[in-house]
Amino acid sequence: MINIVGNTSLYLALLLATFQTFSLFKTEKKFIKRYKFFVFGSLIFSSIAFFSLMYGYFVSDFTILNVFKNSHSSKPLIYKIAATWGNHEGSMLLWILVLSIFNFLIFKLCNKKNLNYVYKSLQIQGFIIFGFMLFIILTSNPFQNMKSLQSEGLGFNPILQDPALAIHPPFLYIGYVGFSAAFSLAIATLISQTKITDVPWHQYIKTFVMIAWTFLTIGIALGSIWAYYELGWGGWWFWDPVENASFMPWLLGTALIHSLMIVEKTKSLQIWVLLLSILTFLLSVIGTFLVRSGILTSVHTFALDPSRGIYILTFMAILGGYAFILFFKKSKYFFSEKYFIFLSKEGSILFNNFLMVIVCATVFLGTVYPLIIEAILDDKISVGEPYFNKTIIPMTIPAILLMGIAPIFSWKKDTLKRIIRISSPKIIATIILTLSFLYFYKFINFMGIIGIFLAFWIMSNNFLNLIFKAKGYSKETVLAHFGVGLLILGIAGSSVWQEEKVARMNVKDKMKIKNYTIIFNEINEIKGQNYVAIQGNFLVNNKKNKITNLKPEKRLYPVTNIVTTEAAIHTSLARDLYIVLGDGNSNDGWIIRFYINPLVIWIWIGVMFMFAGGLLSIKKNLNKRKNA
Amino acid sequence: MNKKIFLVPVILFFLLISIFFYLLLIDRDPSELPSMLINKKAPQFKAESLFDEQTIISNTEFGEEIVLVNFFATWCLPCRAEHQFIKKLSNKPGIKLIGINYKDKNEITKKWLNEMGNPYSKVGVDKNGSIAIDWGLYGIPETYVVDKNGIVQYKYIGPITKKTYKQFYSQIKKLKK
Repeated sequence: MINIVGNTSLYLALLLATFQTFSLFKTEKKFIKRYKFFVFGSLIFSSIAFFSLMYGYFVSDFTILNVFKNSHSSKPLIYKIAATWGNHEGSMLLWILVLSIFNFLIFKLCNKKNLNYVYKSLQIQGFIIFGFMLFIILTSNPFQNMKSLQSEGLGFNPILQDPALAIHPPFLYIGYVGFSAAFSLAIATLISQTKITDVPWHQYIKTFVMIAWTFLTIGIALGSIWAYYELGWGGWWFWDPVENASFMPWLLGTALIHSLMIVEKTKSLQIWVLLLSILTFLLSVIGTFLVRSGILTSVHTFALDPSRGIYILTFMAILGGYAFILFFKKSKYFFSEKYFIFLSKEGSILFNNFLMVIVCATVFLGTVYPLIIEAILDDKISVGEPYFNKTIIPMTIPAILLMGIAPIFSWKKDTLKRIIRISSPKIIATIILTLSFLYFYKFINFMGIIGIFLAFWIMSNNFLNLIFKAKGYSKETVLAHFGVGLLILGIAGSSVWQEEKVARMNVKDKMKIKNYTIIFNEINEIKGQNYVAIQGNFLVNNKKNKITNLKPEKRLYPVTNIVTTEAAIHTSLARDLYIVLGDGNSNDGWIIRFYINPLVIWIWIGVMFMFAGGLLSIKKNLNKRKNA
Repeated sequence: MNKKIFLVPVILFFLLISIFFYLLLIDRDPSELPSMLINKKAPQFKAESLFDEQTIISNTEFGEEIVLVNFFATWCLPCRAEHQFIKKLSNKPGIKLIGINYKDKNEITKKWLNEMGNPYSKVGVDKNGSIAIDWGLYGIPETYVVDKNGIVQYKYIGPITKKTYKQFYSQIKKLKK
């Protein structure tokens, strides 16, 4: 039953997307009527498809192959629901749903002046929906029937059974797919050429980019939280291809938001904004391609299937090929011969824009380099953390330094004297904060000091600008930028001063690391809702007092026969104590890994600030448009 | 400004796309890791036999048929999951299975094999993990395919599962020809 409903909605949505792409209209009235039908129809049918699959998971309907493969009746309810998008087919359905929502939002922009422009944007967006819908129907239909009757499902990857991961994909997809709207609008702008001087296309793009950026930020952070708590490797970022795939659109999206400010103010840089809009969405699609095609391995790789890869790649070639050729032909209409002075708001934004793009290109190169080498030389290599750390950190240092002061630069031209005058209290504040931090923590390490300095630099600039009500610097931006400062604090602290100790311990053994003593109290077998586990109990003391009992686990999920490690973590504002129970037995002892990760919590707090800043900016942007 | 510069993204984009296409169309396994051992003679090793402490298992095992060297341990849960596929492989003709029991207790291993079934023609004991080091073990379980000439042809990291069994066995079939 669900299969029929779901399948029918898929085909109907495909039909509507086809109409949306190719339909013509004669009068304004007809356009609104017709496109309202297409846009609402798409939204309704993709919702029906998505929620019928979710219902299938909800009631554990094992007549659906997708549910049978990825669920189990013993699974907790929240993970049954999350399982809807925890697999390839379902996640593509979510992707389509979000595409349709943005489709609807583009339609909402429609007014008398921009009719033609919105029409063109909807055609492009319709084509994107069409492409992905066809992809689902041809290669990844979630509504396939089970051939035989089954009373129980196969379960799902228990590594994915984690609250942060359960909500991570929806946020991430709003991010990825939000950029599709910017892409469609940018293409429509290029097609319309100069005929659209009275259409504020850059404002439209800005709203969508802000939505996408804000949700991508939180989506990436949730993925990172999952990696930190669930994988048990003691870190939160591994330069894994799939992490990179989400980080690259984020970098370009950040550059895009800032250059849109310049377009708004000075009307220059239009060509740059259009190119960035195209690239950002294409990078999102390349990210999907890298994950879904199995062309490279990563912790996130979904079921491998080359036919899927070929489909997405073909679609991407059409979409990207069209976009780039159009850009090549039409870019001359958007070109302005204008030069920027470095010491001005636009000059500094542009400089940081270039740095972001170079960082993005570096990440991209690191991610696909092994593939290029394999294709050309038939040799296998891997590019890892050292490459990314060595190339990316030096590039971000000037960007962050500039980020601290650039917001208070004047437009057009500023003077060094004025900048120094305004910045001197901030420089002093930064130095005092850095020195007191070092005095308190007694951490001496060159890279660490630079990191801490940059963090305090961003924080004191934003804090003092807020107090002194700096001109042209909105509260939303201050909030988001301050968040970046906290983020840097967390990154610097946890990556430079992480302490790690690995030992083989038996019950009643003691281990010392820095000021902490860890006592292995006991080890027990416990039973969870759909797993069995062995759980260690460790008492952690500092020099004087008991701090906590940590209980790391090693779980076995009998349904899929998969073992996972659950790290136990004690968090404070200053550090995380992170313990992982490894292999072992009661005779020879157990391998215990213990980490002290300083300041990790500030990463998550920083991201929350950025998220809040983004949300408030979206709100402000929408209000501005309402009033206009 | 020269307009031709805007052709650069078009060209780069299609170059990249062609590389992706090429990689998708050729037969490759992205999870395959290169090993220093591949196409080289299997490393020299000497291991005490699990069931008969007087016997020594060594490179003399290689030469007559295809030998799978499977590193396993009773404390390793993925090995337990893999065991049924190891058993399945042991039933195939022309294949000899050597188990290397990694950092384990002899008594427990004997009991374990009794319960689960013993697919190995011989089991060597690697109490301190030194054989594993010589073979370049990544983790456990791990399986090496050694051909009739004593040359390591293939290395498989991690447990052989329902999904990967077929592909793994096809590698062995290639050698039989």
